[in-house]
Parts: sequence; structure tokens; C-alpha cells
Amino acid sequence: MLRYTVHRLLVMVPTLLAVSALVFVIIQLPPGDYFTSYINELQSEGESVSAERIEFLRQQYGFDRSPVEQYFVWLAGLLRGDFGYSFEYSLPVSDVIGDRILLTFIVSFATIVFTWIVSFVIGTYSAVYQYSFGDYALSFLGFIGLATPNFLFALVLLWIANVYFGTSIGGLMEPEYLDQPWSWGKAMSVLEHLWIPVVVIGTSGTAGMIRRLRANLLDELHKQYVVTARAKGLHPFRILIKYPLRVALNPFIADIGNLLPQVISGAAIVSVVLSLPTTGPMLLRALQSQDMYLAGSFLMVLALLTVVGTLVSDLALAVLDPRIRLGGGMQK
Amino acid sequence: MRLVLFCLATILASPLAAAVGSPAEPPYFAEAVAAGKLPPVEDRVPDPPLVVEMDRGRTIGRHGGTLNILMARSKDVRQMVVYGYARLVRYGRDYEIAPDILKDVEIEDGRIFTLHLRPGHRWSDGAPFTTEDFRYWWEDVANNPKLSPSGPQIQLRIDGELPTVEIIDKTTIRFSWSRPNPKFLPALASASPLYIYRPAHYLKQFHARYTDETKLNELAKEMGQRNWAALHNKTDSLYKNDNMDLPSLQPWVNSTRMPADRFTFVRNPYFHRVDAEGRQLPYIDRVVMQVASAKIIPAKTGTGESDLQARYLRFDNYTFLKQNEERNGFRTLLWRDGKGSHMTLYPNLNAQDPVWRALFRDVRFRRALSLAIDRNEVNQVIYYGLALASQNTVLPSSPLFRETYQKAWTQFDLEQANRLLDEVGLTQRNSEGLRLLPDGRAAEIVIETAGESTEQTDILSFVRDSWRKIGIKLYSKPSQRELVRNRIYSGESLMSIWEGLENGLPAANTIPEELAPTHQIQYQWPKWGQYIETGGRSGEPADLEEPKQLLALLDEWYKAGDRARREEIWHRMLAIWTDQLFTIGIVSGAMQPVVVNARLRNVPEDGMYTWDPGAHFGIYGPDTFWFDT
Repeated sequence: MLRYTVHRLLVMVPTLLAVSALVFVIIQLPPGDYFTSYINELQSEGESVSAERIEFLRQQYGFDRSPVEQYFVWLAGLLRGDFGYSFEYSLPVSDVIGDRILLTFIVSFATIVFTWIVSFVIGTYSAVYQYSFGDYALSFLGFIGLATPNFLFALVLLWIANVYFGTSIGGLMEPEYLDQPWSWGKAMSVLEHLWIPVVVIGTSGTAGMIRRLRANLLDELHKQYVVTARAKGLHPFRILIKYPLRVALNPFIADIGNLLPQVISGAAIVSVVLSLPTTGPMLLRALQSQDMYLAGSFLMVLALLTVVGTLVSDLALAVLDPRIRLGGGMQK
Repeated sequence: MRLVLFCLATILASPLAAAVGSPAEPPYFAEAVAAGKLPPVEDRVPDPPLVVEMDRGRTIGRHGGTLNILMARSKDVRQMVVYGYARLVRYGRDYEIAPDILKDVEIEDGRIFTLHLRPGHRWSDGAPFTTEDFRYWWEDVANNPKLSPSGPQIQLRIDGELPTVEIIDKTTIRFSWSRPNPKFLPALASASPLYIYRPAHYLKQFHARYTDETKLNELAKEMGQRNWAALHNKTDSLYKNDNMDLPSLQPWVNSTRMPADRFTFVRNPYFHRVDAEGRQLPYIDRVVMQVASAKIIPAKTGTGESDLQARYLRFDNYTFLKQNEERNGFRTLLWRDGKGSHMTLYPNLNAQDPVWRALFRDVRFRRALSLAIDRNEVNQVIYYGLALASQNTVLPSSPLFRETYQKAWTQFDLEQANRLLDEVGLTQRNSEGLRLLPDGRAAEIVIETAGESTEQTDILSFVRDSWRKIGIKLYSKPSQRELVRNRIYSGESLMSIWEGLENGLPAANTIPEELAPTHQIQYQWPKWGQYIETGGRSGEPADLEEPKQLLALLDEWYKAGDRARREEIWHRMLAIWTDQLFTIGIVSGAMQPVVVNARLRNVPEDGMYTWDPGAHFGIYGPDTFWFDT
């Protein structure tokens, strides 16, 4: 188990390095840099800025160096915990993204919990009562959630929440709490707004999870040990909880690794539509304005979270299921 | 204080208006004044203050209230400098420049400017605003090679010559050039103005001349900046408005530290404007700016979350907004867009393709293209008939407007267009009925759009249908703004579609540089513009007769001292511009929805929504807007 953990940890290093290089290349791909998009933006509003001033800024921020050099400067900064400088905000990146990472984490965590609860209940029900009306109805619902475009669903819920519950449009809290410190009222306000993104992002993931749980559970339900247990007169519910469900639970844990990137990228689109103070909209904006260190550092933090999330899910799985733990050991 | 009272009294003709404890004192400060933390209003406003006449149907208001607005990015805090529109000199509603922060400006021969400050004027933190602030900017900022490596701004140079700056006393400063500088005052009055002063008392703590350099560099490192110069430049953000510690002269002062998603601006206790009854402006105590994504702003505005909104609203949001007016207590006004044209086609006279270039340079060809556009149809279908079918030229509210400028070659006349094309020599057609170019290719034009809105492609589909009838095929290709721009600059792109003249409301004293090839961003002649812009280092000199004439006229305009002569030159340039049709305007005066809280007063019903001159709401004085109960 220790060897497995260490191995997994070591593999993370080249993964993250590869991600950082990839991120940097992709950010550099579009023509121009932050300052060209900045000039364009100023000009589209009728403002002007002198070419000399731009040249001065470019030098100040090291844009005159080669991309490879820029990459290593950035990487060296990352290793020291310095994420670089956001041109858009004229602040160090770490000052800009702090709060947002936290809120993104809250939204993602709530979404995963929501997905789990919904798919656990529905998946179990539809496996036990296979081909019943409930099975069809609930699966149908799950697929509707999968098939409805997130942004459309988000807009519909927003409208309903505004018209019937008076919730303000967009955001994660009522506007008056935005610059307040955390309080009971603020937390309640966040809860009042949180359900929309959670339901929207969550529903797109539940369908898959429901199907996986249902399929796994169906496999187990027809195995002989279940039949034996029944024959011996064990209560059906007790059988279900005690044996097949435990075996069928694997995908829940294993899926954290899959779910995390899904939730985070799905959240980006929904967050833009809902104007959530999470990383998604800021990342999109940073990419559009080619605020490269902000965008790059964002992507790195998200990549790190995903890699760590996958690691945690794999370790949890190994703890939960000896077959994986031992199989993992044997292959080495 | 007695002096202040005396002056107020002489100006106001109502001697009691500014008496102590009168409505002059905003209730917002009453407590601080009573506690002795803040001097009373008579001691806070300069002597004399600027008395704002509530003309054009505006009424005297009452103090109080919070104005909510929505912006898409935290960078938009600078919009409050635009809306606040306190400038040394500013444009009035008649688009004439008048003193604002300054008490007076004396101009000799258009080249010597003597600026008189208002005695007793103070920064928002209470420190005096004097010529020391100008001296600091000139000596320690503009001419400091570390802070301004390229020296003082371009508007201060006339053929490279910088002004002589003389400080005469605490409230008088003089800028003089050897030749007239018509750019100086418009730059000071601009929406994004030329700042020729700085809050010296605050910024000196970040300047190596006044504070120990090693300590400053340490501080800079702590704040994530490279050196003291970068730190100074970052804190010195009068326009960007993102430093809450920086003193200001605007009506509302930022009180929120970056980064944030909600910014509160509170009234400036030392603001220099008062109404005719002596009440210190602004009427509204606080402005709260919430940051939300641009896409959701129309929806949020529709639920009444903004009290004054135009930015990020588009014409196609109008019906939705109108529908929600009653439920959420606001009104939706339509203001006119102040650009010379809302949508204009730019044939590229510097196109690389020699055959097309020759055609575009033939005025008959350009006229034929213009005649073959059914502007009325575009207006009716896309703008509900609310825009104007017009060339890309000055708008009807400009003093320089003439109907011929607007209407020339805008009638829909396929017959004449076909005749013109025949005259040009494009008489051969292929089996599809397309005209053949002299080298045998079919006449097919690709117009690349920036791909940001469907509006451009929608318009182009109408143009495509009617151009097909004169034997020219149009393809529109959505691309990306920067790519398109670079392709235009290099001449790869044949024709483009974009907004027209930036300033559709020029007066005789506005520099007519948009009509002559002066900038690369002029899509009809990017290379000629680049040539002038870079002083001949890159680009190509104009080699067509009329653009050369326009350049010569521009030069004459700069030399002309008086207004009548400048007006005459404007009309000569507009005549050439109209006749030659270098750009093909489609519609102008498109509508900008403006959402106003139903209780908010003094917002004009039909304004112009323009950047410069205009500063969006700025020219209409948001400091005079007030909430009725």
C-alpha cells in the first residue's frame, strides 16, 4: 500500500509538468498577447494609448523575452508559490484567485454530494425494481437532465427562482452581502443561490452515475450468493444493503476522478451563464484578454486539484476494495 | 469663510441660500460636521464653486439615496471617472468646452493657455489642490524617465515640441507652445482625459525623489511590483480608479479595495459643484457598482437591479426590458448612438490584389456599391425603422451637419449602379450572371467580420441579396477581431464592416483627422494611415489625389487660428469625403437602450450615448441626478 501511494505521488510530478507545458503553449497559441488585446479593447471604446507606452509595458513584464524563457520564469515562480502577475487586475494572481478557488470548491463539493445522493437513491431503486414504471420514469428523468443543455436549464431555473422566490438573478449571494464578512445571513443567502448551479451541473452527471450503479447492482443481484441468502430467508432489504450494494459502490468512489474534471469544466459554462463568483468566468475572461499568468495559474490550480482528487479517489478505492489494492501491488 | 459666503452670495443672487445649517449641507455629512470631524460645507467647496444651472428641463433636487449600477468587470471602476466627468475643462450639452475644475482658462492665439484654479479647492481627502499638483506631474512624473520613458503624452506635443510650463502662483499655471495646440483642451475634456496634475501630497510617498529609494523598492517587492517606478505607476491611477487611497476630484470616490465584486463609491465631501440654491453636488450619496457577467446584465437590469444602465445593454434587449418595466419600476429610454455610422463598409484601398485595388480606387465603383444597398430595408428589418439610412458622416445634431453629406449615394438605385459598373468596364459576365474582373475572375468579394455579434452578418445578408443584382457576389466570413484587423492592415482583406467615424458630433474646433489618412485603424486606407502615424517609418504614402488633398486640408486646419476658417476647412473636407465615398455607410443613429429607475430625476429623455465627446452619461451630469420619493 505504501509503495502504491509513493508510486502514485511520484507519477503526479511529470503529469503536472506536462500539464504546465501544455497550458503555457495553448495560452500562447492565439495571435498577439495581453497588450494587443488591451489596445483593441481600448480602441473599440474610442480610447487610445500610445505605442511607446505599450512597448514600455511589454518590457516591464518581460514580454520581449522568448516564450521558452517566459515559460521557465513562470514555472520557477510556480514552484516558489508565486503565481505571477495579473495584468487585467494589476495585482499578483494569488490575490485575485483566493476567494474564487474557495467558492469553486464549495460549488463543486455540493454538486458531487448532490449527484451522489440522487444517483444512489435512483440507481438502487431502479436496479431493484428493474423494468418497473418507477425505473422507467426515473431513468427518463435522469436522461432529461443529461440531455438538456446546461445553460438553458440554468436560465429556466434562474427565471423561476426570480419570479417565484424573489432570488436575485445570478451570483452566489444577494448583492448586499458581496462585500460583507461571512455571517449567518450571508451563508443562508449563499444556500439560497447555491441550489441552482448545483442542480444544473449535478443533473448532467447523475444520469451516467445512475446507469453505472444500476448495471453493477443488477450484475450482483443475480449472483448465486444473493440467491442463497434469499433462500436462507434473509430479509431482502438486509441482503441488498449488506452484500450487493457494497460491491456495487465501487463506481461511486472511482468516479470522483472522472467527476471532478466534469464538474469543473461543466461549472465553467454554467458559472458564466449564472455569473457565479467562481473560477470559470474569470478563467474565460483571462483567456479572452490573454492575461496569461492568471489563466495559466488558474489552469494549474485546477489541474492540481483534479490530480489530487483522482489520487484520493484511487487511494479510497484501494482501501475499500482489496482486489484493487492487491492487483495494484501484483502488477509491479 | 466670510469670503466664501460673500462670493456665493454674489453669484447666487439669493444671499441666504448658502447660510449655515441650510439645505446646502448634505445630510450624509451632517453628523461628521456636527462632531467637528469635517468642516461645514461652506469651507469645503472652493471659492467660487461651480454653480450648475438646472437648464433644459432639469430641476433642483434633494440629497440622498444610493444609485445601483452593473458592470461586467472590476476593471470597469474607471467608468465612474467617466460618469463623474469632473475635468479641468469639460464639454457642455452644446458640445462646447467650458471650465469645470478650473475657474477660468485664458487662451492667446491658440498657443498660450493660462489656467486659473479655484482658490480653496481641495482633494477628496481635504488636502489643497494647487499648482504644486501640476508641478509634481510635470517635473516628477511626465518628465521622469523611469515613470514615463517616452516622455509627456502625445497631446502635449506639436510637431514634437513640448510646452513651456510656468507656475505663476498657487492657483495659476501657464502652458505655452510656439504654435497653436488645438489638441490640448479637447484632451483635457475627454472621457478618458489627459491628466496634467497628480495628488502630489499622496504620491510623493512612492516617489524616489521624496522617499528613500531602497525602502521604496522593498515596499514595491512586498506589493508584487518590480521597482518603485512600477509601484508609483500602479498607485497613480486617477483614471483607472482602482486605488481607494488615491485622492480624487470626482463627485464619487472609490471606497473598496481591489479585488472585489461589489464597489461602493461615496460622495466626495470637497466636490466643487453646487446647485443654484447652494446645495453641494452630487445629490446622490452613494453609487454601488456590482460586477456581474456581461451576458447576464440585461437580465439583471430587467429585474430592477440597476438604477441607471446603458453599458452592456443592446438594442435587441429592448423588448425584454420594456416588458419588465412595470413589474420592477424602471423606464427604458432610447438614446442615439453618436458614431458617424453604426455600420459601414470599408473597401480596402491598400488591398494587395492589384485588380481589386484598382477597382476600389475607382470612385464610380464605390458609388455603384453604395447605390446597390437597400438601406431602408436594413433599417426596417433590423432596427424597426428607428435608425437613419445614412452615409458615414457627421450626425444631424452636429453643427457641421448638412443633408447632402448624409444622403449622398444612399438611394437604392440598381439601374444607376449597373450603369456605373458598365462604365468602369466590367461589362463581361459569366454564366451565373456575375461580372468578370479585367483578369477574367468572377467578381466575388469576401467580407470578414469580427464574429462578435450576428448583427454584422445579418446586415451583410441584405447587402449580399442586392449586390447579386448588380452582378457582384458577396461572401461573409466570421473570424476573430485581431485576425481580421491584421489582415486589413496587411492588405489581405478586401473589404470589412465596422462602425463608422468615432466622433459623429464634431464642431469646427474638433480636429478633422478622422477624415484624412492619419491612423492605421482607418480600415479604408490602413497603410496610408500608418505612414502618417509612424512619421513615415512604415506604411505607404498616400498616392491618390483626394486623400492627399484631405491631408493638406488637415494641415491647414491645424494652422488656422480662428473658428470661421476652421469651419470652412471642415466643410471642404466633408465635401471631398462625401463625394469620394471612401467608406460606404449603411445606417447611423442606431438606438441605445438606457434603463432608468422610475424615481430617478434629471436624466434626459433623449440623449446621445457617445464616448467622446460625451463620456456616456458624463455630459448629462450624473451628479445632478436625484431620487424622488
